[in-house]
Amino acid sequence: MNRNVLLVGAILTLPLILFLAIGLTKDPFTINSPLVGQPAPPFALMDLSGNTVSLEDLKGKPVVLNFWATWCVPCKAEHPILMRGARDYQGRVTFVGVIFQDDPMLIRRYVASAGAPGPTLIDDSSAVAIAYGVYGVPETYLIGADGVIAEKIIGPVNPNNFFDKIESLL
Amino acid sequence: MSLSLLGQSLVLLALVCCAIGAPVGFLAGARRSPQGLEWTRRLALAFAFAMALANLVMEYALLKHDFSVSYVASVGSKETPTIITIVSLWSSLEGSILFWGLVLGLFTAAVAILQRRGHEDYLAYTLATMLSVGIFFSYLIAGPANPFAPTPPPIPLNGPGPNPLLQNHILMIVHPPMLYLGYVGMTVPFAMSVAALLRGNLGATWLRPLRNWLLVPTGFLTAGIMLGGWWSYEVLGWGGYWAWDPVENASFLPWLTAIAAVHSALVMQRRGTLKGWTVVLILITFLLTILGTFLTRSGVVNSVHSFTQSPIGPTFLVFLGICMVFSVILLALRIDTLAAEPADEAVFAREGAVLVNNLLFVALTFTVLVGTLYPILAEAVRGVKVSVGEPYFNRMAIPISLGILLLMGIGPALPWGRSSAELRQRALLRPIPAALVGLALTYAFGAREFMVLFVGALSGYTLWVTADQGLRPARARMKKGESAPAAATNAFLRAPRITGGFLVHFGVVMTFVAIAVSGSYQFTREGMVLPKGDSLKIGEYELFVDETAVDREPHRAVQKAVVRVTRDGKDLGILEPALNHYPTQSDPISTPSVRTTATHDLYLTLMSTRGDGAVGLRAIITPGVVWIWIGVLIMVFGTGVCLIRPSGARRRATAAEVESVGAAEAVG
Repeated sequence: MNRNVLLVGAILTLPLILFLAIGLTKDPFTINSPLVGQPAPPFALMDLSGNTVSLEDLKGKPVVLNFWATWCVPCKAEHPILMRGARDYQGRVTFVGVIFQDDPMLIRRYVASAGAPGPTLIDDSSAVAIAYGVYGVPETYLIGADGVIAEKIIGPVNPNNFFDKIESLL
Repeated sequence: MSLSLLGQSLVLLALVCCAIGAPVGFLAGARRSPQGLEWTRRLALAFAFAMALANLVMEYALLKHDFSVSYVASVGSKETPTIITIVSLWSSLEGSILFWGLVLGLFTAAVAILQRRGHEDYLAYTLATMLSVGIFFSYLIAGPANPFAPTPPPIPLNGPGPNPLLQNHILMIVHPPMLYLGYVGMTVPFAMSVAALLRGNLGATWLRPLRNWLLVPTGFLTAGIMLGGWWSYEVLGWGGYWAWDPVENASFLPWLTAIAAVHSALVMQRRGTLKGWTVVLILITFLLTILGTFLTRSGVVNSVHSFTQSPIGPTFLVFLGICMVFSVILLALRIDTLAAEPADEAVFAREGAVLVNNLLFVALTFTVLVGTLYPILAEAVRGVKVSVGEPYFNRMAIPISLGILLLMGIGPALPWGRSSAELRQRALLRPIPAALVGLALTYAFGAREFMVLFVGALSGYTLWVTADQGLRPARARMKKGESAPAAATNAFLRAPRITGGFLVHFGVVMTFVAIAVSGSYQFTREGMVLPKGDSLKIGEYELFVDETAVDREPHRAVQKAVVRVTRDGKDLGILEPALNHYPTQSDPISTPSVRTTATHDLYLTLMSTRGDGAVGLRAIITPGVVWIWIGVLIMVFGTGVCLIRPSGARRRATAAEVESVGAAEAVG
């Protein structure tokens, strides 16, 4: 009996099985968002041209806060929907993009060719993503004019109900 | 007799064959009983036969649209084209597990038939292990994931049809079977390693079949992964081929360890070392295939193309746990009987480079595994959801991959065993001019990014070594006076696996360069274009929309744009990107249209259509994509060449192997 092999093997495999067993009890598609109904965590971030944008500045109008990245495929799929939303609700709803774990160079290139629905903010240390409990991109937070989070949308926004949801913020 | 009952009976028969065959095989192995071995073989063949029949029954039910069989009711539809109906056997969870059973049966039968002679020492244990795995899968098909369960009344008159994504492209017909052949095939080297551990000895009659049985599933897995990437490129419409999705990672992980195992088995054959290490890699490879299947089938990770949540998760986890505990205990008990390694080993030698390369493969495996499992770990420990994005994987995987590319050049350049420092230095310095040529060529083609230039230089180095080493046997023959064609033919026939191995390396270099170039120089334009109106310009191309049309097919509506592609005013033809609307699916599924040339791809996706008839187009130009597919095909072809039996040299090869392995054992 080689005790070292047994020890290393046990250290590598037993916790893995345990974690997988715990993981099995959770549903990957339900994500608790304790933030819904709470005031949105404040932030102040730089946009692509170096201006600071803070949530405080945006108060008074509903905000659609969208976390995305260029490496994220569904983000590109929802991009035209957000663009349409920004056009249709111009002046009434502010669309804000927050970059999640990405290279600003690629972001600039993408925004230059595809446009952006509103200010695009760089969240270098992922501090804002953590404050909002972002699990993956895309995630979109609908924040009312009063600064309270009305809803969290996981995955790309659905054009069939996204605009109704925005209407309900107004 | 209803098809449902017939299918269930066949699956139960398969389960019985496994449940009897496995203990009989282990006993026969322990007692070295030829009679017991004969019975194990018969039961293995019966298992394969029952599984094959069960799959035929399912195909029959699918083609007959017999909706009283629950699987047919969940994936069948009278409107689905016949070819898609046939392949919908593996389009959903229950069917894919049944198909798994078929592939496992085929591999078990192949081992029982092909290894009948010359492998007797191990065969009973090998088959017993495979039948033990068979017990689990037959049980899964008979119980928790039963595709033959009768549909509860009322029996529907029509079904929803398979997942729309699977109906979109011809590649979906070949990609899953290739992956299954690779995945399930890894059971064979696993079973052989278990047999060797139980027997406590790795002889030549073990090593030669092992090498082949390791190469076969590795080749299939290579093809399967590439076809998956290609499918995702041709179908998913985002212009890429790899996204580090959990399902992709699940197929990538065992592939990495299998490749490491192929190389360390080579060292074992040549030098008699790395025995324990090879066996460990093979066991890990198998465990990773089971882990990967668990991850993708249990709903424990959230993936773009994971199967829907299913009740088989806990069952699978128990099986995974048993396999892991069994492997660890077996290794702990028996590894000391194998690890008779010669003491005086050369580090700066080919075997040393292979070992370092192996460690890089393991490091890459570990990195990807951690990234894939991290969301589950974080949730279990801290109760928070996190995700690991593509940047993590790229940041970690790119440097390790470059190290592997470098060692692919250094390793084969170094001689086996002890050598003088001077000889080694000369061997390593000689390819430097080729590296400079590679660098200069990449620069001349306009590459300025450090990463691409670096890959260019490394590729030049590795290519030179690959060609030099690959042609060495032929050159030696020419020196002895053979004509060039005769020397090449004879060298090839004598040792096809040398040619095969270097073909694989050539394919790898090609793939590396193509990935580096396509990843670094892709660019995108998007815009709304009115038919017969304005145009979208990208690179040298100008795109006009001739018209838009909607084709109604029985199972979907295809909305497409007819896009005329021109370059410098010259008409290059039509591309037809489309959006497919399926009645069962709320979001349309986009089918891109690709114009492939030797240097780059023009990739068009239809994004949206506007009320006034304008269409939203996204055009992507990616250089070098086609060379990725060609490079991987060369790798697969090379793997096949490695399997060719050396001509007329059977006796000689066997004698040499017995000698080398025997000598190594004697030293220990």
